[in-house]
Amino acid sequence: MNIFYLLPALTLITITFGLPIIRYFWISFHASSLLTGLEYIPNYGSNWLRIIGDDRFWRDTIQTLRFTGVSVSIELIIAILIALLLNQKLRGRGVIRAISFLPWALPTAVMALGWRWIFNSPYGPIDQLLNLFGFASLNILSEPRLSWIGTVLADVWKTSPFISLILLAGLQTIPNDLYEAFILEGGTKRQAFFRITLPLLEPYILVSLLFRVAQAFGVFDLIQVMTGGGPAGSTESLAGYAYLNAMRFLDFGYSATIIVFSFIVLILVCLIGWITISNSKRILSS
Amino acid sequence: MNNIKGLKTLGLLLVTYLFFNHIAKAERSLNANTTNINILMPAPFADSTSGLVKEFNTTNKGNIRINVTRGPLETEAVSDLAISTLLLGENQYDILLVDITWLAKYAAADWLEPLDKYIPVGDWKRLAHGARLGNDYNNKIYRWPLVSDMGLLYWRKDLMDSPPKTPEELLTIASKLKKDGKVKYGYVWQGRQYEGLSCVFVEVLAGFGGSWLDKSLNPNLDSDQSIEAANWMLSLIESGASPKSVTNFAETEVLQVFEAGDAAFMRNWPYAWSELHKSDSQIKGKVGVTSMVSILPGNQASTLGSWGFSILKLSRNTKEAYQVIRFLTSEKAQRELFLKNGYTPTSRNLFKDQLLQQHSEILPYLEKALSITKGRPQTPLYAQISNVLQTELSSLLTKQKSTIEAMKSANKKTIDILSSAGKKK
Repeated sequence: MNIFYLLPALTLITITFGLPIIRYFWISFHASSLLTGLEYIPNYGSNWLRIIGDDRFWRDTIQTLRFTGVSVSIELIIAILIALLLNQKLRGRGVIRAISFLPWALPTAVMALGWRWIFNSPYGPIDQLLNLFGFASLNILSEPRLSWIGTVLADVWKTSPFISLILLAGLQTIPNDLYEAFILEGGTKRQAFFRITLPLLEPYILVSLLFRVAQAFGVFDLIQVMTGGGPAGSTESLAGYAYLNAMRFLDFGYSATIIVFSFIVLILVCLIGWITISNSKRILSS
Repeated sequence: MNNIKGLKTLGLLLVTYLFFNHIAKAERSLNANTTNINILMPAPFADSTSGLVKEFNTTNKGNIRINVTRGPLETEAVSDLAISTLLLGENQYDILLVDITWLAKYAAADWLEPLDKYIPVGDWKRLAHGARLGNDYNNKIYRWPLVSDMGLLYWRKDLMDSPPKTPEELLTIASKLKKDGKVKYGYVWQGRQYEGLSCVFVEVLAGFGGSWLDKSLNPNLDSDQSIEAANWMLSLIESGASPKSVTNFAETEVLQVFEAGDAAFMRNWPYAWSELHKSDSQIKGKVGVTSMVSILPGNQASTLGSWGFSILKLSRNTKEAYQVIRFLTSEKAQRELFLKNGYTPTSRNLFKDQLLQQHSEILPYLEKALSITKGRPQTPLYAQISNVLQTELSSLLTKQKSTIEAMKSANKKTIDILSSAGKKK
């Protein structure tokens, strides 16, 4: 009987999430492009064969994974530090908290444009500073080996506050008594962090990681504005490639295949992460 | 209890809906004789044509009313918006301001209304040669041009007596001026991986005597001319004639450098002229305009840009829409847009107009550039092949690949894209 209470939520999820995925899956087995007059014509998996042989797709997959892995890791470390700091009883804590969450509140396109100008050579501040001290221009966004780092930096700046917000909420659920008892028993503050704070924060860390990995994996606007996928295609993400195929090339069959494939990759990544975490927990607790 | 409350709310909502629906209907019947023509334009065009639109709406009050949707600023974002509504099959817009690179794609998707039957024979011939190009697909006209747009080479009159004519000269002068410390950078152009890079390459390639696709649509990107052209662009960066950062420069960055007086040459569109002559410009009166360099004088070329109005197939008011288009592109409108916004005219007559010539010294250069325009390949698959070219050019300019390797790969990928299309047709 109780299952009926779930119906509204289930319907909503099916409509907004389940159906589109199924539809994309269906489209991925069809040709739908200018050549078919935008009609859906079954092509029996030839989109899937094409994607396996598509170097650009695999390069974009690796680039997206690299972007996600590096930026989310850095964000997590920075976010823990920010959360710990904001959890202290400081004067003007409210103001500091508000300021530190500002980057998260900015629209991505706006802040990406800002970062594009920060990295601009020769007028951006980074370049001006380097030149002032006699160093050569760095040209981060013009150099294929470096430009992805530029996008990671911008992403870290923007989304670390998001993780720290969740972690801060977690920190406030940890009762102070635990620390008092721990110090009384002769533990150091450092030990308290690893024995009390981190373990109790774990569910919050996992939740924020889940959010961030899924979000970073679908990165689009940030890269589109900062580099447009260049130079030499070095910063193109899977979402960017899917967008190009759908909106610019009007090749919806292939675009849908890219989306479904990256959906599968994302699930795999989350699975591997989950297994690693639960394995390491088992080892630690035994 | 709760159910009754819910029903009450529902009833209230229904009554509210019916009430507003009634008001809307009443309003509609009041304006029943007015035909609404909805146009989607990128923001800058919506702003520059607002005066003309107001004028039209006053003189045609009660008959036709133009409603302009002020679209995004960026070219491709406008296309995304338009495509989204077109895919949904909504007739939200009657007219779309179409960039030259979209035309073949939109026409092939059967979204545009052919204009041939509306256009009187003589009218088309009044357009300048370059303005006539890029409006047709499969021998049908789908677009009436609003503004001509072509690549120009801007040069500094205070740094040299006359502009370079050949690639060799451009490179030597640019690197010499830089070496002598006269300017921070020699020559700035659009080297970012985006459509602008394809535009730059098209005119350079023509200057080296090559072409992107030949007449039967086979790519020529691995020809000697293509490799020489690409090598020349690379040598601009390697010799220091152009800064390394051009590989992330779009129009805005390029204009910024040139406007600050930091560069001797700039490749840009006509709009830059009015920007360079705003009151806070550092180099007002020191700028000359010419066309891109070429090895042989006869090969000089300007990449054709240009925007124009197309009527969407789903429009129910095509006749009125055509009337609106012709008003917004009339010689009177062109004159106004040129004087106020520096939009290059499309009618041949206007280039000879005394008033316009007095207003702007570059009109003769624009006319000349418009006579040597080079179009980008007109195929529905343009976005794909241009994307390939941009990526490969970007990899050779940033030294991820050798020139030969990149151009060969560009050629092969272009063949693949075009032939996969040919097989199915």
